[in-house]
Amino acid sequence: MNIVVCCKLAPDAADIEVNKDGSISLERAEWRIGSFDLHAVEAGARLAAGGGNLLALCAGPTRISQSKLKKDLLSRGPDELYLVVDDALAYADTAATSAVLAQAIRKLAPVDLVLFGEGSADLYFQQTGLQVGERLGIPSLNAVSKIEVEDGRLVVERSLECEVEVLEVGTPAALSLTTDINQPRLPGLKDILGAGKKPVHEWSLADIGMSAAPVIHVEVIETRAPRRKQRKQTMLSGKAQEAARALVDALVGEGLV
Amino acid sequence: MDFRLSEEQELLIQNLGELLQREAPESLMAKFDEAHEFPAQAWKALADNGILGLGIPEEYGGIPADILTMTLVCETLGKFAFPLGIIYSLGMITIRDIVQFGSDEIKQQVLGGIVKGDAPVALGITEPQAGSDAVNLKTSAAFQGKDVILNGQKMYCTLAGVSKHILLMTRDPKIESPYQSISMWLLPTDTPGVRMNALSKLGWWTVPSYQVFIDNACIPYTNLVGKLNEGWPQLMANFEIERLALCAASVGAAEAAYEDASTYANRRAQFGKPIGEYQAVQHKITDMAVKIENMRHFIYKVAWMMDQGMPVRQEHAMCKLYVAQASFEVCDDAMQILGGLGYMVDSRIQRLWRDIRLMRIGGGTDEIMYNIAGPQLLKKARKAAEAR
Repeated sequence: MNIVVCCKLAPDAADIEVNKDGSISLERAEWRIGSFDLHAVEAGARLAAGGGNLLALCAGPTRISQSKLKKDLLSRGPDELYLVVDDALAYADTAATSAVLAQAIRKLAPVDLVLFGEGSADLYFQQTGLQVGERLGIPSLNAVSKIEVEDGRLVVERSLECEVEVLEVGTPAALSLTTDINQPRLPGLKDILGAGKKPVHEWSLADIGMSAAPVIHVEVIETRAPRRKQRKQTMLSGKAQEAARALVDALVGEGLV
Repeated sequence: MDFRLSEEQELLIQNLGELLQREAPESLMAKFDEAHEFPAQAWKALADNGILGLGIPEEYGGIPADILTMTLVCETLGKFAFPLGIIYSLGMITIRDIVQFGSDEIKQQVLGGIVKGDAPVALGITEPQAGSDAVNLKTSAAFQGKDVILNGQKMYCTLAGVSKHILLMTRDPKIESPYQSISMWLLPTDTPGVRMNALSKLGWWTVPSYQVFIDNACIPYTNLVGKLNEGWPQLMANFEIERLALCAASVGAAEAAYEDASTYANRRAQFGKPIGEYQAVQHKITDMAVKIENMRHFIYKVAWMMDQGMPVRQEHAMCKLYVAQASFEVCDDAMQILGGLGYMVDSRIQRLWRDIRLMRIGGGTDEIMYNIAGPQLLKKARKAAEAR
C-alpha cells in the first residue's frame, strides 16, 4: 500500500511572543510538525509496517526546508519526504494548500491512501484533507478514529457526537484522523540518526506542474492576542468581619454584586 | 567556539523531555517517592524508547553515543525526573566497566537485560571501614577449583536490591599494595549466601541503598570482570564518567528547582505585588540562573574533553565539587523563595532538596574532590613555573 501523509509545518505556538500592542511575533518561534499531524504520521507508519511504504508531504514557505524539521519528521516513520516550497505559500488558505497538495499527490501516483491530521496546528480549519480528497476525486472522510485494512479495503471508524460510524471505504481514499486514533511514537537516537539518511525531495510549484501560485482567497488582516486584564490584587486586612464587609463593599463598588 | 548542540542531540533531548512528561510525570514520581519505591514503570519506558541502550554496543541491542550526548540525557532526566537521572548515572560506571572489561559471556548476560529495562548493575565497593578510603576494603575472594567463594560486607550498595547483579570489588590481603590487589566480580544478587538490609535515608527514596552481607557466596571464576588484581585501575577508569553523569543529573534538578521558584516568584503576591518584584527575590533568581549557566558550561566542557580523549583528572573533580555545591544552593534558594509551600511534602522542591544533598557525599565527597584536584593544580603550577 502506498501511503502519503500530509503534514503542516508551522511555528510552535508555545514560542509565540505577544508585543505590547497585542500583535504577535513569530520571529523567534521554532517551527514544528503540527501536533495533530503527528497522529496521522503514526497511523501511516503503523499501516506501512503491515506492508507498504509511507511518504510524507508538506507544502509551505522556504522556512519549512529546515534540516532539523526534516529529520524530526523522517525519524517518526516515513520512508521519504517531499516538500513543495514557495514563499507564496506562507499565508496559503485551505483552498490554496489543498490545490498544491493534490497536485503533488498526482505526481506521486499511484497512491492508495492519503492521511491528514484533524486540523493544522496554526489555523485549524479542518478543511484541507476533505478538499484534497475532493480535488483528487476520491472518497474523503474526517473524524476517523480507527483504520483497519481488510482484503485491500479499508474499514474505518468515525467517532461522532453520539455514535461510532463503521464504514468500508475503497482505495484510494483521503482520511483526516482524530487525535485519539493512537499515541504518536517518540523517536529514539537510532531513529533520529537513521532519518538523516532518508531521501528528501524538494519541489517548486513548477515541478508539480503549477505555472503560478494558487490564488489565496482569505486575506489575514491582522492577528492579535486577546487582551489580558490586569488583576487588581487588592489586599484586605483586619478582622474577619471587617474584611468581609470590605470585600462586599469592593464588589458593590465594582458593580459585580 | 560553537555552543550549539547538533540537530540529532536537540531532537533526542526534545523527545526525551516529551517522553518523561508522558511516562514519568511529576505526580507519578511523587507517588514513587512517597512509597519508597523504585520507579520500575518509568524505567521500563526509558528502555522501550531506546534510552537505556545509549552507549551500549549494537551487538547487545544498544546504540553508540558520545559522552556529551549521554550528559545531555542525564541532564534532561534530572530536570524532569531527578531519581531517573540518578539511577541512570549510577549505571554509567558499572555498564562501562562491563563493556570495557567484561568477557563476551558477561556482556551477553548483563547488557541485553539492561537495554530491555533491567535496573543498572549495582556497584559493591564501600564497606563499613572503607568509604572515601575505598581501597581499604576487606571483602575476599577464595578460589576453589573453577569457583570463587566470596565473603565480606558492603555498605551503601545502591540499587543492589532491585538489580540482578552487583559489580563486586574484593581484595587479596596477601598483596601489599592495595592498588594491585583488588579484583572485580559479577555477583548475581540471587546467589545463595547474599543477604541485604535496606537502609533508611534522608533522600533518594526511590533509589534504594543496602547493606549487603556476603557469606560463602559461590560464583564461577568466569564471573571475573577484567583481570585478576587489576580491579582498581579498571574501576578508576570509569569513576570520572559516573561523576560527570551525576553532575549532569544535578544540573537538571537545579533547572527544575529554578523553574518552580521563578514561576512562583511571578505568581505569588505579598504586600500587594508579586514577590518577584522585590529585589531580594530577584537577586536570588539571578544568582540561581548564573549558577545553572556555569554548571552547564562546566559539565559540557568536561564531556567534550572526554569525547576528545583528553585527561580530565582535575577538571572532573573540580566540576563535581562545584556542581554538587551549586546545585544544592540553587535548590536551597528555591525552597526559600517558595517559603512554607516549598517545605511541604507535596512540593517538588522538598524532594529535590533532600535528594540533591547527597551529591556532596556520594560518588566522592567534596573533600575527596579537593584531594584529587588540589595536588593536580599545584603540580601544573610547578610545571608552569619550571617552564618560565
